[in-house]
Amino acid sequence: MSLSRLVKVSGVLLALSAAPRVLAAQGATLPHAFELERRGDYQGAVEAYRGVLSRNPSEVSALLGLERVLLPLNRSVEILPDLRAALKASPSNAALYGVALRAWGAADQPDSMRAVAERWARIAPGDEAPYREWGSAALATRHRDGALEAYRLGRERLGRDDVLAAEMAQLSITDGDYATAAREWLPAVRRLPGYRVTAVATLGHAPATKRSEILRILSAETDFTARRLESELRVRWGDPLGGLAALESALPTGRAQSLDALRGLVEQLRMQRSHDALLAQGRALEAIAARLSGSQAARTRLEAAQAYSSAGDREAARRMLAGLADDRSAPGAVSSGAASALLSVLIGEGKLTEAAGRLRELRPQLSGEEHAALSRALATAYVRQGELDRADSVLGGDSTIEGFALAGRIRLYRGDLNGAVESFKEAGPYAGERAEATRRTMLLALLQPIEADTLRSLGAALLQLEQGDTAQALAELQSVAADLPPAKGGAELRLLTGRLAAAKGDRELAERLYREAASREAPATAPAAELALAELMLADRRGADAVKQLEHLILTYPESALVPQARRTLDLARGAVPET
Amino acid sequence: MRRREFVARTCAGLVALTPGLPRVPVFGRAAPWLLVPMDDGQSDHLKAYGLAFRLLERGGKAEWFLNYRGGAFLLPADGATRRDAALAGITTEPLDDGRLVEVRGEIQNGNMDAVPLEKAPKVAVYAPPNAAPWDDAVTMALNYAGIKFEKIWDPEVVGQGLRSFDWLHLHHEDFTGQYSKFFLNYAGAPWLMEMVQQNRAMARSLGYPSVPAEKRAVAQAISQFVERGGFLFAMCTATETLDLALAADGVDIAAAYADGSPMDANATAAMRWERSLAFQDAHLELSPTMPVYSDIDGHQVNSPDRRQPLGSFTLFNFSAKIDPVATMLVQNHRQVIPDFYGLTTSYTRRRLKPKVTILAEETGAPWVKYIHGERGQGTWTFFGGHDPEDPQHQIGDAPTDLSLHPHSPGYRLILNNVLFPAAKKKELKT
Repeated sequence: MSLSRLVKVSGVLLALSAAPRVLAAQGATLPHAFELERRGDYQGAVEAYRGVLSRNPSEVSALLGLERVLLPLNRSVEILPDLRAALKASPSNAALYGVALRAWGAADQPDSMRAVAERWARIAPGDEAPYREWGSAALATRHRDGALEAYRLGRERLGRDDVLAAEMAQLSITDGDYATAAREWLPAVRRLPGYRVTAVATLGHAPATKRSEILRILSAETDFTARRLESELRVRWGDPLGGLAALESALPTGRAQSLDALRGLVEQLRMQRSHDALLAQGRALEAIAARLSGSQAARTRLEAAQAYSSAGDREAARRMLAGLADDRSAPGAVSSGAASALLSVLIGEGKLTEAAGRLRELRPQLSGEEHAALSRALATAYVRQGELDRADSVLGGDSTIEGFALAGRIRLYRGDLNGAVESFKEAGPYAGERAEATRRTMLLALLQPIEADTLRSLGAALLQLEQGDTAQALAELQSVAADLPPAKGGAELRLLTGRLAAAKGDRELAERLYREAASREAPATAPAAELALAELMLADRRGADAVKQLEHLILTYPESALVPQARRTLDLARGAVPET
Repeated sequence: MRRREFVARTCAGLVALTPGLPRVPVFGRAAPWLLVPMDDGQSDHLKAYGLAFRLLERGGKAEWFLNYRGGAFLLPADGATRRDAALAGITTEPLDDGRLVEVRGEIQNGNMDAVPLEKAPKVAVYAPPNAAPWDDAVTMALNYAGIKFEKIWDPEVVGQGLRSFDWLHLHHEDFTGQYSKFFLNYAGAPWLMEMVQQNRAMARSLGYPSVPAEKRAVAQAISQFVERGGFLFAMCTATETLDLALAADGVDIAAAYADGSPMDANATAAMRWERSLAFQDAHLELSPTMPVYSDIDGHQVNSPDRRQPLGSFTLFNFSAKIDPVATMLVQNHRQVIPDFYGLTTSYTRRRLKPKVTILAEETGAPWVKYIHGERGQGTWTFFGGHDPEDPQHQIGDAPTDLSLHPHSPGYRLILNNVLFPAAKKKELKT
């Protein structure tokens, strides 16, 4: 076969092999093209979309589909011939121009982008879209100046300052020009209030050095939009009271609008737990309550009281609660919530007699559980004042596990070690807050090895600790420990005293007590004392000493339950694991 | 003598000798040997490697029982080793001579082998001076296991500093000099600015016109290290970019932000794949904004359109007596391991050179996870992904705490590589 004949035959064969695919593409429907795209057959989808476009060049869905599938193939520019055909067939179809701008952008042809935008603007005078899409296409290809040109031209042509303001603001943010961004966001939010969230989010990232300028720009304006932006930014930047003040200074007279603004601020404040944030939250809630009536007002006053109480402003909390607890018309949950809050305030203020009186009065309104919880809170407050008889009386026959736990503490402070152990055992290891449960377990471990049934000096020392007099408690606990043999509670008490000394910052005393507690005669206590000693050394940056101590612990007490923790601490001391 | 020949001969010799290690004098009834099981009976698989390594550092000898109880170690029951095991919480089983003979018989009769571990390799980790110790899986594994290593960087590598090391690890370094291609997407981020500044200063101080040029020189020095008999273990994007840098000799594959000139439009065709270690015929990613280098990586984690979901990978079974090197590298108590992403997660099969040994693959997928090969007198092992216990690792994530993953099968593969050179007797040829 001659070469020319071979070429001809090969050409025919190639044409025949390609024919079915071409024919299939020509007969393709839009759903088929979508299906191919969904399956990830982008090449097939390209041909299918082109098949649709060959019959209807201005089919927007097909053109958009073609744009999508060419992108992952890194062939976006190949859409241009299809686009030209589409624009020729339907020159006034605005949807085609957006695709055209992106295609020219991908081809890195800024002049063509501009020409397309101008053509689009001619068929849609007064519309911002041509300029917005032009800018967006320029940004997609990282042509920041091209985007700026598009936005400026749009603003100039349309003759209004608020045209494309949001786009200009975002562009300024990417430039780090927060002042201009603030000036642009104002008209954008005034025109479309929905932009406020984005404005606050973007301006909120401004570095600390730029914030005062932004606030100055916003505070120079007098309208509510500017005030609200300023308020939300102040809260975000850690000035919740300033934020509240900014908002209050321009609250609109309309109830709905002012409520919306105040509620928005409260939502923002709820994410912060600082004193000022809680106080601002209380004040905002009080302002909301003043604009409401009936049960909604009562609930909001209660929330305000709780916020004030958490912020330590008991006077304001009481003002909110005044009458609420006795208000028979208030919903039950609000009334009992108010009663609880009021009692907590009284207890916090140390007005225990008044609190006890209120508790008696409120008894009929409260459920059994609520009454028991408030009684325990009051009993705990009596314990802290050293009035153990009153605490006992208020606690009464509380048979909840929290009640047993508290009863155990009262017995312990009286020096009744046996009674305390019994109550703690009845309470079990899980009642109450985690910290409280841990403390109880620790006390149980402390008391069990002591042989004496009663030890008033120990009870008195632990009561002083409860009352916050750590220095006196430390001295007395050391004195009690000195009289106890290591295996009969002496080691355990020294360990506790050592921990108190460490917490108080007396590391030298802590180390001495830990060493005394790490006695071979008290093998149940010694590993914990050695571990505490090693942790103290680590905190003092005595890594080598800590390593030695931990190795001693692991090798001497290999069966101790603390060995895994010791190994973990050893890893930390050696830098084998990250500090968490 | 070639490596395989050497290992095969050594192993044959070991089978003949029972026991093969110097025996610890026995006082009283204490057993002379400690078996460190590496199956599910082990309480800390990762630290067990450190135990063996430290014994070698003290001048002791050990044996690695390939495929026996998950790749167990036989150590002499001396006081230091017992103490070390107790402190680290490693499970050991005392073994007397009679039981050891039984174990050796078992090994002889199955697809198992006993490999002597003779000398602790000198380990280097390639990392910039300010690299966080917790951002590299190998550094974390070495720290956790208690294996000593030295950090080295570009000045040491181009200055012949590699000659004093047996084993080198690379992690997520970008040897194409494009800052992991994060330059545009993370523009302004302080960590990126620091990385750029540091690399530019280093290139200048070493006399190179650009960071890509300097990194290519580093890649070539690393390739020469392997040629001379070094052991290279690389993970994540270091694997892919090392090969790209080696193959791009004379071809500009770096974006304009890295070297001032755009990438050669015909770079894909101009690559010289005979220079690379593992890969060939890859198509390069042309976009400077896409943190993807080529189609070597099967998962393309940073390409929204091409990103593949994570599956799991399966370790191959090798014949321990015929192919002890590959067997050592896959010792594990798990055969199927969950996959994990990295800038380079896996390796497309069609881009592997024909002589590459596949150690682990995702069954049915067009990519593999863990590969090994030889170059000159040395070997290289590539392991895709960033952190076996942080499958979706993102920049700024909290560091992995290996005390929470003491049985990590993925980290075991890393540590197999660290110990593997200890099984070899010859010194590096320099």
